[in-house]
Amino acid sequence: MMKDISEDIAWAKINKDVLKSLENPRKLYWVILFIAIAMVGVAVGCEVYQYNIGMGVANMDNPHMWGLYIATFIFWIGMSHSGTLLSAILHLMHADWRKPIYRFAEAMTTFSLMTAGLFVAVHLGRVWQIYYAIPYPNGRMVWPNFQSPLLWDAMAIFTYLSSSILFLYVGMIPDLAIVRDNMHSGWRKKLYSALALGWEGTDRQWRNFRVTYLTIACFLIPLAVSVHSIVASDFAMSQQPGWHITSFPPYFVAGALYSGCAAIITLFIILRYVFKFEEYMTLSILKKIVRLTFAIAMVWTYLNLIEYASVWYGHDQASKDVLIQKATGPYAPFWWMMNFCGSIVPLLMFFKRFQTNIPVMFAVSLLLNLGMWLERWMIVAPTFSHGYYPWTWDHDQWPSLIQWGIVFGSFGWFTLLFMVFCKVFPSVSMYEVKEMVYHRKQATKKLATAGKGAH
Amino acid sequence: MSVSNLLENWSEFRHLHPVDDVPHDPYKWAMSIDLDACSGCNACSVACYAENNLPVVGKEKYAHGQAMHWMRIERYWDEDGREFPDQGAQFLPMMCQQCEAAPCETVCPVGATNHTPDGINSQIYNRCIGSRYCSANCPFKVRYFNWYDYPTTDNVWPAEMNQQLNPDVTVRGKGVMEKCTFCIQRVTVAKNNAKNEGRIVHDGDVQTACQQACPTSAISFGNLVDKESKVYKQWKAQQVELDKDAQAKDKNEEGRSELRGYRIFEELRPYPSVMYLERVRESAV
Amino acid sequence: MMNSGFDRRDFLKVLGWGGAAVALSGCGNGSVEDGKETVVSYVETNDYMIPSISVYFNSTCAQCDAGCSITGRLREGRVLKLEGNPDSTINRGKTCGLGQAGVQHHYNPDRVREPLLRTGSSGEAITWEKAYALIAEKTKGVSGEEIAFLSGGVSGHLKVLLGNYLDSFGCKNHFAYEAIAPAVLRAANKKSYGVEMPRFNIGKAKVVLSFGADFLGSWVSPVHFSQQYAQFRKGVDGQRGVLIQVESKMTLTGANADRWLVVRPGTEGILALGLINALGAHGVALSGDVAAAVKGYDKARVSKDTGVSAEQIDKIVALLKARTPSLVLAGSAAEGYAHGSQNAAAINLLNQVLGNVGKTVEVAEVVPFPQMAPTTGNTAALRKLNDGLAAGKYKVLFSYAANPVFTAPGAMKFKDNMAKAGFKVVFAHYLDETALQADLVLPLDSALEDWNTQVPEYLATCAQINIQQPLMEKLHANTRGMGDILLALLKQRRAEEYKGFEDYYAYLRGAMLKNKAALGGGKLDDDTFWNETLSKGIVKLEGRVGGLSGRASAAGLTLPAPAAVDAQYPLQLIPSVNASLRDGRHTNQPWLQESPDPLTTIVWDSWVEIHPRKAAELGIVEGDIVEVSGKNGSIKAQAYLFPGIHPDAVSIPLGRGHEAMGRYAKGYGVNPFQILDPVFDKETGELALHETRVKISKAGSRVIVVKDEGVVGGMQMGKKIAVRVSSDKVKLSEEV
Repeated sequence: MMKDISEDIAWAKINKDVLKSLENPRKLYWVILFIAIAMVGVAVGCEVYQYNIGMGVANMDNPHMWGLYIATFIFWIGMSHSGTLLSAILHLMHADWRKPIYRFAEAMTTFSLMTAGLFVAVHLGRVWQIYYAIPYPNGRMVWPNFQSPLLWDAMAIFTYLSSSILFLYVGMIPDLAIVRDNMHSGWRKKLYSALALGWEGTDRQWRNFRVTYLTIACFLIPLAVSVHSIVASDFAMSQQPGWHITSFPPYFVAGALYSGCAAIITLFIILRYVFKFEEYMTLSILKKIVRLTFAIAMVWTYLNLIEYASVWYGHDQASKDVLIQKATGPYAPFWWMMNFCGSIVPLLMFFKRFQTNIPVMFAVSLLLNLGMWLERWMIVAPTFSHGYYPWTWDHDQWPSLIQWGIVFGSFGWFTLLFMVFCKVFPSVSMYEVKEMVYHRKQATKKLATAGKGAH
Repeated sequence: MSVSNLLENWSEFRHLHPVDDVPHDPYKWAMSIDLDACSGCNACSVACYAENNLPVVGKEKYAHGQAMHWMRIERYWDEDGREFPDQGAQFLPMMCQQCEAAPCETVCPVGATNHTPDGINSQIYNRCIGSRYCSANCPFKVRYFNWYDYPTTDNVWPAEMNQQLNPDVTVRGKGVMEKCTFCIQRVTVAKNNAKNEGRIVHDGDVQTACQQACPTSAISFGNLVDKESKVYKQWKAQQVELDKDAQAKDKNEEGRSELRGYRIFEELRPYPSVMYLERVRESAV
Repeated sequence: MMNSGFDRRDFLKVLGWGGAAVALSGCGNGSVEDGKETVVSYVETNDYMIPSISVYFNSTCAQCDAGCSITGRLREGRVLKLEGNPDSTINRGKTCGLGQAGVQHHYNPDRVREPLLRTGSSGEAITWEKAYALIAEKTKGVSGEEIAFLSGGVSGHLKVLLGNYLDSFGCKNHFAYEAIAPAVLRAANKKSYGVEMPRFNIGKAKVVLSFGADFLGSWVSPVHFSQQYAQFRKGVDGQRGVLIQVESKMTLTGANADRWLVVRPGTEGILALGLINALGAHGVALSGDVAAAVKGYDKARVSKDTGVSAEQIDKIVALLKARTPSLVLAGSAAEGYAHGSQNAAAINLLNQVLGNVGKTVEVAEVVPFPQMAPTTGNTAALRKLNDGLAAGKYKVLFSYAANPVFTAPGAMKFKDNMAKAGFKVVFAHYLDETALQADLVLPLDSALEDWNTQVPEYLATCAQINIQQPLMEKLHANTRGMGDILLALLKQRRAEEYKGFEDYYAYLRGAMLKNKAALGGGKLDDDTFWNETLSKGIVKLEGRVGGLSGRASAAGLTLPAPAAVDAQYPLQLIPSVNASLRDGRHTNQPWLQESPDPLTTIVWDSWVEIHPRKAAELGIVEGDIVEVSGKNGSIKAQAYLFPGIHPDAVSIPLGRGHEAMGRYAKGYGVNPFQILDPVFDKETGELALHETRVKISKAGSRVIVVKDEGVVGGMQMGKKIAVRVSSDKVKLSEEV
């Protein structure tokens, strides 16, 4: 059996290896960073143009009121769920193997939420009035509409984002202290000193730290489930055919975990290479994530089929028409591709030989995420193109390059944030890896003793 | 500000439209459109452009589906597979149905679209942030979004043309949703005039722009609470009730009803305020 | 609010306004009331101008010649919206889309603002004094035969002044031209009924059988007929009226018919005779000449010629017999052929056989001032003018309210012939195609700035003179009313006679007051009468009532057999008339460009309607750019598959395809006038609009048709949206 981590890594080596990631990554890091900045540039240009001219440049119309922005918004929200899954749920379940990878997964949560939030702004016709959607105290007693799922959305996302940041930060405090202690003086030293909050590693600090971390983890789990359920409500609570489906919240949550896990695989492979983390992000861990992803993929597939079946056997002809339209209309290539990427491609993960095959898994993880992005688009667009009112059916609308540019740039924005984070903060949790190594050693010793005893 | 304050204020807006609702008093504006009289001539639509400062978007934007006609005339053909439409076409003027339980109202995150005590679905341009959720949830797709800043767009209202703009109606800028208002500006004038005279608005005091133009008088508009109004009488005669999702006509056996009144998508329960009267076709030819 | 009549205060408003408008439209700048300068200011505004309060003035719509009375709504001195004037018996408070767009004619950014004199290929702005001097110079010593005046239909005092001006030269060359006018019908009516335009009482009829008369869209007086139609649908004695429309291309009226019958183009008359024959066979007494005329038109032959089935003919005959009175109308589709007169005569004959004359075809009252009666336009006039121009007969050509360079068939070469005239003066609102050919362009006031009187050709229930008055100040300082221009020109010729009239307003007022008694104001003093007239906007009169003459003999009524298929040009081109765009004079009004065609829902562009069967034969799908070519040229436009057209015909709407005129008109669509074959009605010499034969071929490219209907076109996809019911299942008489 492959080991999640080698038991003979010295603690000092862990420090050294991780701290090295703050100093000298491979060249590829800078290439990625540069590409990411260029992509953000494209998106900013598109947004500036759209802001000045109007939403029309996105080529939305009546009935295509929403487009890629909302689809991509859901995609990024979904992406954020994996961090919580790895760091909070698996933490509570004492799954040790999460330890080398949860930090970047948690960072992914935060950054994908920040990206998703931007899409809300990009989508609004009057983004400069976005604060109307917040229940802020005001003299005229004008409240947002608490009936609107979109308002719940805004609140859920804000809560989730702030909790995620807190969780990420709190979990990082012992590591920040390590970094502080190993840093030459300069601005970074000052930064880490401030962020480490005077961490000394005393027994009391550790005890408080554990309790706090556990509390936030417990708090975060229902939040993660609720946030995507609420995003699902944006659709399920509406009256439109293809949206008004009871199973949407669990379906959305499953999809979210799914795309998040796939993204973790992608980033796992990239980080492992870029920051030379081969020793910590081992193939054994990869295998475990892949298996987890496979399981979630099957759950998603099941829920997806449930959705089709409930529409097909339901009595709502309009919804059924939308489903038929998805499978046969102008969106058919995308819809079939989504089903292929979401349900067929993950079958590769079932085979052991592919589970640790880095190039295959890299490609698979990208395809899964493509599938999940298409899934969101296929939820949003076909309903608009083929709603209740035949006179306004519009099967020809195609998002303009402005929309595509902003969607494209959002990946750059996410990558940029993520890459900068990995360069500035330890993306592998040093103290937990040390624990892991320690536990591993204990286990090996125990095994050795037990072996001896048997003789 | 406190939570209780917030909840109290909010509770004022929570109604179960229209079944449990406070009855509209003294006004509930409603319409009836006789499809047998409607000739599909488009006069109503042009009158609406004139009255409500609707921008002419031009060919390119029209091609992109960004037209702003609050009132559109739909033309349907019979779907019986005949080679020639020998029973003519069907025309249907479609505009905001001013639903009593409007799907658009509940979903707006900022409460920019509301129900007025008169039973009109109002749109507050200043409050709108342009999330377009209302339109997404509208079954009739009669809400129109300002995809561009039309007041500053070339050739929408160039010099002189802008002098035609109705000062009683806001000129909408980019990023807000708009739709038929039942000519709320005319209703308001009529209500104020009536109030000054210490009475309620009589039938005929106010006409919507489309109704006033309509050469065949197919459109009636009035107060559904007022038993003297033509609209009330028409709804009554057709046994169409505002807060029902199925009418006397629907309960009859197939084809047996002598009633012509119906509301579109009644089964979705938006409780529209517009009743249509079926077009009649001669059986003898 | 708007329906209430005008009180005394409103009279004063009108008076005050009249004064202000006159002050600016006339030569001087003094108000009629007190001679003071009139400046509009919020600080010291006129008493009718209260910020935020609307005022209303009555006038007459000039968008077409139907003569609907309108009420303009004003705020702060700007006209905002036009509504129908409920007092008018023509439109009874209603308007059409074209009428609504009148404000865009007025506020149009592309109006001509200065008199322009051609210098080489460009124009130079000149003063009015110079312009008048130039006309005086160019007309000096020119004989009456060498002057031609082209205009649209004219009536009222403008017609009087125009007549007098031409009279001063001894000129008889007034050509009243309308590109699409029921001119053949007028002649046929004159023969059949003794009057050109009787009153068609649709409201009283139980069956209306219309041969291509688009009375709900663009025919004669559509707003009036639309109201009659509503009444007709509600029914006399609770029996709903039945509309049967016979035509080769579905019009708006056809789309509203209970039964729309597609006939082979040009065979409308044959069907009419066939129906008479069948009526005879069903026991309707036919006089000898009629029986003789219809003898050959048995059901089998008629059915073969027209494509209308024998059962259908039986059904119609049964209906016409059972429900009386009925009404038969001959519209532009029937008269647009070389045998248009015969078609119309045959159709009118059907009315007589059915005994409708005197019941639903009634005599119309006539305004008792023959000099003000409308001179209606036609195309024969253009042909005559064109011949004269080609022969180089005219030294001076005036053109007013017509755009022949755009509307004349290309084969007439009007543009080239016009160049042969020595000096061309065009009174223009826009720099349209004709104005661009002028030597001198004189900018006109809009109809909302100008004074006029108008007598409609089609009078609804009583004789009336419509008053057109300024609704607001002039937008541009250097435009002039046509009446003022004619008066100024007349002063050049007959200074003594007209010196008493400072301007057209003064002339109009004087002329009306002179006939006060005849106009029904005998007991009123001048000011009261005048104020009342202006505030009403209409003068209703005791009209002269003649009688309908006995019918013309049916002897000699023959109809040609349907034309054989031309192998080279197998299709008939039907230039269709859109209710908003008509002959293209209002195409620069953006509301009309963006108002979808009711039947195809297409906006901003031209299209070629083609029956789906024919399209399938030719491999054409919607949006294909097709070339429509005939003997006289070809045009390319997008194809639209339209079920309401005869498979052997294609249809292109008129009104678009401007090369000039303004930003909203130029470059949108194609102009089918350009490819019309110069075929004329044999009796009247009118251009036969429907006689062009074409072939159609794909030009290669394909576009997305810009239209309002969605991807599934006119289908409801099983949803209950626009619902219809059979007439035996409703009780209309019990409805509200």
